[in-house]
Amino acid sequence: MSRVLKPEFIIENYFDAKNKRHFLNGEQTVLHCHHYAALYSQLALDADETKLLSDVAEETFYRTIIDYFKKHQICRLEDRIDIVSEYYSVLGLGQLIVNFAGEDSGEVELPVSHIDAGWRRKWGNYDKPVNYITGGFICAIFSAIFDKPTHYYKAIETQSIVMGNKVSIFKVIH
Amino acid sequence: MAIDRKKIIEEMSKVSAESNEEGIIEGFNVMVNRLPAAFWNSFAERLSTKASPEMLEATEYLLVNAAQECGYHTGYGIITSEEWKRIVVPMIEKAPEDILYGAYAVFTAWGWANAEVIELVPGEKMVVRAYNYYESDVAKYGKSKKMSAYMIRGVSAAFMALAYAGEYSSSNEGDRISAFKCEQVKGIECGDDYGEFIVTKS
Repeated sequence: MSRVLKPEFIIENYFDAKNKRHFLNGEQTVLHCHHYAALYSQLALDADETKLLSDVAEETFYRTIIDYFKKHQICRLEDRIDIVSEYYSVLGLGQLIVNFAGEDSGEVELPVSHIDAGWRRKWGNYDKPVNYITGGFICAIFSAIFDKPTHYYKAIETQSIVMGNKVSIFKVIH
Repeated sequence: MAIDRKKIIEEMSKVSAESNEEGIIEGFNVMVNRLPAAFWNSFAERLSTKASPEMLEATEYLLVNAAQECGYHTGYGIITSEEWKRIVVPMIEKAPEDILYGAYAVFTAWGWANAEVIELVPGEKMVVRAYNYYESDVAKYGKSKKMSAYMIRGVSAAFMALAYAGEYSSSNEGDRISAFKCEQVKGIECGDDYGEFIVTKS
């Protein structure tokens, strides 16, 4: 009987010493702190531009995930979900669990969230969700795993760590 | 000046940013993330470009302010870290000036910008030049009329505050963090050969 091995997210770090830039799997990345992420989230809330923050996250991560799937020939749905969950953690964004995923709906749980934890460390709890970056990330992963275009899905945060819940929950709908 | 910028960049660029079993990267007294540069650029550029002329200054202030708070707290985390103590502290002859020179070497090593201090009047003024920085990537062709290095502006003002605005405060007491301000006067995204930033008292 054959056994299917789970693929591991491959991390290729590279520092371009000439231009002083860091790359993760060919994508330029920068180290920033929870203050920066929290303040960008607050800025988006204040400017009524939370959709922009989410859209930008979705478009950025979609390209990266699609490139990764192509390069490493990740085709099975289960493998794709494992890979994107690992990728989320590699970025330092926390823990992401896809509870279920279909072409029209899904649910994602965050037992740990960099954005929520950073916000709470900085300002304490808040009365509404603030994790628009992860909302965009989730839309990107659903579009990528089901071979759909960007902005095909919407991710709605129905439960949130920053509001005092133990875990954050996102409902995904087409 | 005893600061060996090349050595600091070489050593500090190797500092790993690996997440723990919870997917969190703890380091330098903050939680770190390593998101694509394109994400930060895209949000800042779209937000500032869509702002009306009346709202542009306020929008840019918020973008700079995010970096200023980040630079203040993370900057303090950097200059009190074990890595700093091991690599940079032995090179420091004159504080806080050498600390500033060293901080820009770390700034460069982290991929924020290949930037260095080219003029420093202690406690008064600092001029920083950036020869390569991700925020200039907003222009792929031609010259933008809008300078876009909000992160460098904020972090530069914060570094000056850490050096000359009294003891570090972990709370968000605005006075210290915003004791200095930074203007961008040249930008690669605007067709200049480098970005230039002038930090002065607020």
